[in-house]
Amino acid sequence: MSLLLQIIVNGILLGGLYALMALGLALVWGVLNIVNLAHGAFIMLGAYVSYYLFTLLHVDPFAALPLCMLSLFALGYLLQRNVLNLLVRAPMFNTLLITFGIDVVLTYLAQIVFSADFRVVNPSYAGSNFTLLGATVPLVRALAFAIALGLTVTVWLVLAHTRLGRAVRACAQNLLAARLYGVEPRTVYALTFGLGAALAGAAGNLYGVVSQINPYIGDALTAKSFAISIIGGLDNPLGVVVGGLFLGTLESLTSLYVGSTYSDVASFGVLVLVLILRPKGLLGRTT
Amino acid sequence: MIGRYYWPTLAAVLVVFAALPWIAPPVLIQFGTTTLLLATLAQSWNIIGGYAGYASFGNSVFYGIGGYGTAVAMVQFNLPFGIGLLIGSLLAVVFALLLGLPVLRLRGHYFAIATLALAEAMTGVVSNLDIAGRNIGLVLPLRKDDAFFYELSLGLVVLVTLAVFWISRSRFGFGLIAIREDEDAAGVMGVNTTLYKSTAFALAGLFSAMAGGIHAYWITFIDPASAFDITLNVMMIIMAIFGGAGTILGPLVGAVLLASISEVLATEVSAMASLFFGLVIVVAVIFMPRGLADLTRRFPGLGWRYFRENLRLHRL
Repeated sequence: MSLLLQIIVNGILLGGLYALMALGLALVWGVLNIVNLAHGAFIMLGAYVSYYLFTLLHVDPFAALPLCMLSLFALGYLLQRNVLNLLVRAPMFNTLLITFGIDVVLTYLAQIVFSADFRVVNPSYAGSNFTLLGATVPLVRALAFAIALGLTVTVWLVLAHTRLGRAVRACAQNLLAARLYGVEPRTVYALTFGLGAALAGAAGNLYGVVSQINPYIGDALTAKSFAISIIGGLDNPLGVVVGGLFLGTLESLTSLYVGSTYSDVASFGVLVLVLILRPKGLLGRTT
Repeated sequence: MIGRYYWPTLAAVLVVFAALPWIAPPVLIQFGTTTLLLATLAQSWNIIGGYAGYASFGNSVFYGIGGYGTAVAMVQFNLPFGIGLLIGSLLAVVFALLLGLPVLRLRGHYFAIATLALAEAMTGVVSNLDIAGRNIGLVLPLRKDDAFFYELSLGLVVLVTLAVFWISRSRFGFGLIAIREDEDAAGVMGVNTTLYKSTAFALAGLFSAMAGGIHAYWITFIDPASAFDITLNVMMIIMAIFGGAGTILGPLVGAVLLASISEVLATEVSAMASLFFGLVIVVAVIFMPRGLADLTRRFPGLGWRYFRENLRLHRL
């Protein structure tokens, strides 16, 4: 029983991070209708920013979080403003391809600049943990979980209650009407994509603390973020929290009861099932 | 579009390609085999992605199934290569039909992602199968005859291209194009969309699986990571799009061009070749989204305006 509890706690902690990973992808997808295949590469870059700040300047990884977000925001903003805005009205397949191209460029640039070695961000408190309801909780994972949930809720509040959030949602609903009301879509798109990249940067920062990084982690993370966005649905930012927690717990349980080699089979199997049975996500309204 | 010199030129190119094993050094023949197999994959993708407009990211599943079908038949049951290839191809067709029915109901992004997920899931499934050697893979019997594999691949490219040629001028092909342009309208006009889409998916599966089988026997080794490699999937899509999806020769030209450039770059620094691939995609998608086929058709009339038109059409 305590083993089951431990597994579920692990799954939930992992799920919080998953939710943050998927949030940026779901935001960009929902608003700009771009499935950003370079999302995982953004996460990877965020992790490297945090790694270099830690090893070269001894900045605590959690303190480096705003810097990771800021640098990735700049990258995302510039990419959307100068490249992706050029094909916003192109068929969906073209945007899919171009983000894949960006993913490849970022991955191999990272390989050339950072080398293919595994890196790990290892602060002094990395090994410490505490006990909660009989389950052992690693401190960094708990912190990462809290930050991930905090950021997700913040993004939700920003989208729901600020002027910028309303502009973003207006563009998602009806671009023409938004323009008539004085929203400048070039800027709003760039800001949204930048925000998505900043969230990926934050996820990368936290990922670097709880796991190893190398230039190739991006693709698997993109695939996972996809799965979570679909399972949770794009209508509602809180959907990714449900999707993330669901996937995290599912993976932990599969590793325990079926075998760790099956955890990918389980998550992608569920993804295909959800796509076929509830294409609007678990929380989405069926049409 | 078909001029006086079309068929003679095509025949001449084919003769040169077929004669390559007798005139070229071994390295070139091996590179040629790889390129021809990639061209087969790009052309198979063209059937489902280019003609039917369903952006499949899961065609590498068929490639993997074809390879594994062949390998398991040859290693575990001591069957000859021909029978193994047949088994692998049949498996892929059955798989395409069974999975096509639910998955082909999805459209746009959702279809792309579901097929991508299938590719991921298959890697996991096969690495747990004892008969397929789990995640260690299988070693096939050695046949040291590069010319044989080269000619076999060339034959396969010709076969799949003939199939696409037939599709492009048959009732079936027009049905697929109608589905690509507007699936609901196609249905209303009396096109059996489910049947047409499944057939296109199965055809793409058949040829990809044969390429997989040939590749596995050629390099005498297969493992889950290489058989269901997602990069392969993306390569075939880029080659098809770069050359011109929905055309007969476009995917072949795209495959040969991109494979050659990437091979030349890879001799310098291997990461450079991949970097170049990424840059080509970005630039090509922005300036020539309909591929080389469209470029060669309209560039002579429009000149540099062609690129500006493409930009103006899609930017915000």
